[in-house]
Amino acid sequence: MGYEALDFYDVDSLLTDEERMIRDVVRDWVDESVIPKIENACREGVFLDEWRQEIGGMGILGAPLKGYGCPGLSYTAYGVICRELERGDSGIRSFASVQGSLAMYPIWDFGSEEQKEKYLPKMATGELIGCFGLTEPDYGSNPGDMVTKAEEDGDHYILNGAKMWITNGTIADLAIVWAKLDGVIRGFIVEKGDKGFSAPEMKGKHSLKASVTSELVFQDCRIPKDRILPGVKGLRGPFSCLNNARYGISWGAVGAAQSCFDSARSYAMSRIQFDHPIAAYQLVQNKLAWMLREITKAQLLAYHLGVKKDSGEWVPEHISLAKMNNVDIALEIARVARDIHGANGILDEYPVMRHMANLESVKTYEGTHDIHNLILGRHITGIQAFTREA
Amino acid sequence: MKVAVLIKQVPDTTARISIAGGSVDEGSISKWTISPYDEYALEAALKLQSESGAKVVAITLGPQRSSKSLIDAAAVGADELMHVLYEGDAGSLSLQSALAAAVRKSEADIVLAGKQAADTNSGSTAPGVAQMLGLPCVGLVSEVKAVDGNFVATRSTSSGMERVSVSGSCVFAFDKGDEELRRPNVRGIMMAKKKPIETLSPADLGISMESGGVNLESVGYPPEKPAGQTFQGAASASEVVTKLREEANVI
Amino acid sequence: MSVTIVSEPHEEGMHPTLPQLVKAASIIGQSCTVIMPGGNGADEASKIQGVEKVIKLNGACFSVFDSSSWSTAISGLVDGTVLMATTPTGRELSASIAASLGRPVIQDVTAIAPGVKVERPAYSGKAVESISVSGDAVITIRPNAIESAESGGSADISTVDSGENLRIAILEAIAKAGERLDVSEADIIISGGRGLGDRSNFEKLESVADSLGAAVGASRAVVDEWGLPHSMQVGQTGKTVTPSLYIAVGISGAIQHLAGMRSSRYILAINKDPEAPIFGVADYGIVAQWEDALPILHEAIKSLP
Repeated sequence: MGYEALDFYDVDSLLTDEERMIRDVVRDWVDESVIPKIENACREGVFLDEWRQEIGGMGILGAPLKGYGCPGLSYTAYGVICRELERGDSGIRSFASVQGSLAMYPIWDFGSEEQKEKYLPKMATGELIGCFGLTEPDYGSNPGDMVTKAEEDGDHYILNGAKMWITNGTIADLAIVWAKLDGVIRGFIVEKGDKGFSAPEMKGKHSLKASVTSELVFQDCRIPKDRILPGVKGLRGPFSCLNNARYGISWGAVGAAQSCFDSARSYAMSRIQFDHPIAAYQLVQNKLAWMLREITKAQLLAYHLGVKKDSGEWVPEHISLAKMNNVDIALEIARVARDIHGANGILDEYPVMRHMANLESVKTYEGTHDIHNLILGRHITGIQAFTREA
Repeated sequence: MKVAVLIKQVPDTTARISIAGGSVDEGSISKWTISPYDEYALEAALKLQSESGAKVVAITLGPQRSSKSLIDAAAVGADELMHVLYEGDAGSLSLQSALAAAVRKSEADIVLAGKQAADTNSGSTAPGVAQMLGLPCVGLVSEVKAVDGNFVATRSTSSGMERVSVSGSCVFAFDKGDEELRRPNVRGIMMAKKKPIETLSPADLGISMESGGVNLESVGYPPEKPAGQTFQGAASASEVVTKLREEANVI
Repeated sequence: MSVTIVSEPHEEGMHPTLPQLVKAASIIGQSCTVIMPGGNGADEASKIQGVEKVIKLNGACFSVFDSSSWSTAISGLVDGTVLMATTPTGRELSASIAASLGRPVIQDVTAIAPGVKVERPAYSGKAVESISVSGDAVITIRPNAIESAESGGSADISTVDSGENLRIAILEAIAKAGERLDVSEADIIISGGRGLGDRSNFEKLESVADSLGAAVGASRAVVDEWGLPHSMQVGQTGKTVTPSLYIAVGISGAIQHLAGMRSSRYILAINKDPEAPIFGVADYGIVAQWEDALPILHEAIKSLP
């Protein structure tokens, strides 16, 4: 059975012809190169290098960035790409999100001309892989209190500290590392092979198994002074990156949910119990109807947010709402889909349990579900509730 | 050298075909694509482009929607696009004449096409166009190379494969090729949208479209298969084989 | 109406579809001439009931299939509606003849009635077209779709020599490679499951597959347990296939397997357990030990005309 993307309100008819062509290219690629290989990759806990090459070959990395060999697409197109990739697996979408929004974007927005020319063209083709170091073992939702620091030493900076939960870390050729220089958060480009830098892979994940997650360790890591991102100081730097990545996730979650719906629908139609397909029973129909309802709403949220991103009329709270809602419903849809599949749902013959486990991570990373609620709470009331302090 | 590729837009082979009022309900078709064998022809043309510097002109005949197949061809590298815009049905002769006229107008040296389209499943176009252009035709081709001014094609036969040489112009009808089809990338898609499409009516090409005495009276669903039949014991296998031949017509 | 059959060459004799074409000719017309490019099998052809004339068409061009030369050689000899078989050669040659005569061509007809009215499948069998033809056309008829004419005729045989030259040259013939089709592209698939008992028994499926030109598939259970290539796996995590005929041997029919093959046009299942779910989707089910049924099936296939 081929994949049929649920699009009850024909939301994709709002896309441009180019956006639809890009959708089809990525969707076909996922069918041919991800679906047949993902379960094995998850068992072995690897991100296939051919995925890097092929994603680079499609020219979709850093989608909304213009110039320096980047695609220069709309934010809507970027969202569609994330949705189609995550229909395959959240780990594949994570690879593209990190590369585009978290590694290429800060160089593009805050980097020097030399940095842009040196890194961006090769990152757009996937020749160079980037990662993003913000979160630390003891500072997740509260990155402002990070302890990783940079110190000047003549022509160099010396970095000390550690980052954790870093997607692409071990396979990355360069890391965008956020560290405090004289108490102010700054961005630094650390390259693979820089003395004092290592990126051991974190093992034992039950989620995002086909994605590389690493620690970044800096022990008197010396980097030349021209590796600082000159264009930004403070948390605005990493948060700008996260806004774009979170935006992509709001679309990506729709793809994972569509995949779960597609599998649940077709399973329910073919699974016979008590002489009828289980799709003929009201309890199952109720579940499917609920999935359709939530996916349709999530699609419209993501699409309209894309329009706002493209017109520039957006605030970060808009993104918080879409990321939070869409991941939340996608996770719940994955759970209900697993339920519809019965015991078969726990097997890797079906994508539902894999999506479910992946989405547990997606719910937490890039701003946890609760943190996004607090962002909205602050927006509504004007009162921040992140900390006990005023 | 210029290579014409004849491509047809068809419903995706996985699409459901619904029939209403004696004809196929096109509105219900979720996805249209370039007919699969035509894609192999296009791939072979693009290979001639990269290996021998050929220019590739993609030609389609069909309603407005089929211009999308030309844009898809441009996205993977077709240099020129020609659309013979025709909304109705027509007999094989008119269709072939119009395509032959389009090929002439394109001034192509050779013509590549799929061996048959995924909607009509006929396989008449390539040999028919060849005949109208006064060219030889080689069918069931999986590869074409330009070698010292000749074209050498690999075609399948009932007993294997053979390499066939043709001097001068020819029409090649493609079976599934050995080459992996190239995937368009974003840059190709963005360039394709800027590529002009030369749109012509059959009349512009001097062709009047006629049914040629062939009237499609109606389209229906294939007859329901009979209910499953169960046979007891190994000896029934020979009876089943007879049924596979005579009832199901599949062996 | 006059009907001319162009009977494509077949080794040393006549093509096995010729009696079927003669039957079709008798349905739509009165007189029937058979043209035999290359000339082999003319004696056999003349003995089919309903054939009026047999023309042995000799010429150097018939050593190699070249549709444009052949159609030039043949077109001048045809009278009335032309019938051919829907084979790769038939499809190409018929279209070429039609274009050179300025007549329409209708391919792959599965039913034919006076009038002339025909039916043919379209959209890979998902639809059937009903077509009426006025005037002379070129029509190809699907092999085995129409019964054969009886033998017992005694038609005249004449010989025509064609001076037509080949327009293509064969550089090299490459013998058919021993490798089998992949399940994703085969029109017939024979698959085995755990019921086969042992990996070595797949050789028996392969031998049947060779007689049918089929691909060999497998259920996930045996791919995993017996270490067969993943490319053979049909099912939820393997390939989804839609061949004309799917033969399931020793496969019980778990829902994951059915998901990959239930859209096959015809399904034949061989299983010893009459309650096996595979019989729920099978068009033909044989309840038997596969070890007993498969050899009988194979022999019957080999003895098909």
